[in-house]
Amino acid sequence: SGELYCSLPNPRNVHFESTNMKNILHWSAPESAGDGVLYNVKYSVYGVGKWIRKPECRNINRTWCDLSSETADYEEQYYASVKAFLNGKCSDWMETTRFNPLTDTKIGPPTVNISSTEKSILITLTAPEKWKRSPDEESVSLLQVYPGLRYNVSVLNKKTKKRWFFSISNNTLVVPWLEPGTAYCVSAQIHVTTPLLHSGFSKEYCTATLKDKTA
Amino acid sequence: SEIRSSFTAIKANIQARDPVRTLSILSHPHSLHRVQSSDKCCIIHKVFNFYVDKVFKHCQTEDTYVNRKISSIANSFLSIKRNLEQCHIQNKCLCGQESTEKFKQILANYEGLNVTSAAMKSLGELDILLDWVEKSR
Repeated sequence: SGELYCSLPNPRNVHFESTNMKNILHWSAPESAGDGVLYNVKYSVYGVGKWIRKPECRNINRTWCDLSSETADYEEQYYASVKAFLNGKCSDWMETTRFNPLTDTKIGPPTVNISSTEKSILITLTAPEKWKRSPDEESVSLLQVYPGLRYNVSVLNKKTKKRWFFSISNNTLVVPWLEPGTAYCVSAQIHVTTPLLHSGFSKEYCTATLKDKTA
Repeated sequence: SEIRSSFTAIKANIQARDPVRTLSILSHPHSLHRVQSSDKCCIIHKVFNFYVDKVFKHCQTEDTYVNRKISSIANSFLSIKRNLEQCHIQNKCLCGQESTEKFKQILANYEGLNVTSAAMKSLGELDILLDWVEKSR
């Protein structure tokens, strides 16, 4: 833009939305700007001098930009900034607050696998993986990122509606002394004590214990 | 985790008071995460002393809620500092060359700013310290 002094209203609410360290920059269009607004995005590593432009988010008309790759090192912290352009006018650069991928990401629920015998259920839990650049990149479980990661597990007897809760640190749980031939439903949540983070509960996975052969 | 929850409550407020993006007290030029584990105890001891002796006293704000959280954090640091003192006395917290160099860098970064800015920046970097300390407890 040819403007020296930027008179276009600023992009609003510039912030990171992050799940399992997939870090997306989001913002809202300038107030009453109408159609045709374009945006540029830049980011910086906290403590390092320079702002770095994101080429894939130059002159874009959408109001988000995926900065997962640029913010993948979760031992660093980051700022990102957005500038709007319309009809030769521009806005100021509008910055995020300081983004710490380790503490500012949301954690997805674990995946749950269950199998049953006559009187017990075996529950196997898997923590989500950290976002990665490509499928063939080595996977990093959030368990490696958060050593204090634990699982909260809920087990529901569908017949009696009785529910148990367990908190475990390893990823398998055997629930014994159950009723044969009965449906049980399991859901699980991840809980990290420090930094304090927890996922939502997974959807329910149901199975039935085998019928008692002697009955 | 009490320090962590107190800090989380005031993090945005404190970091917003630090306009200098291009300088970090704790994490540049070299991240704490690169410190050898053998030197970890010494650096934790030195850095906790640094916060108690140099940082908290310069972190007054106009917001009583924020000030209460800062003094809660400071008190927690004080009790941890006393515990670390014992380790130091019993020679379980030896300082190698790397930790000495790293701490010298932290002080140099701190003295590169005026006291209030340096103290507020250091306070705003508490999550960097906590992330590192908690990573391999």
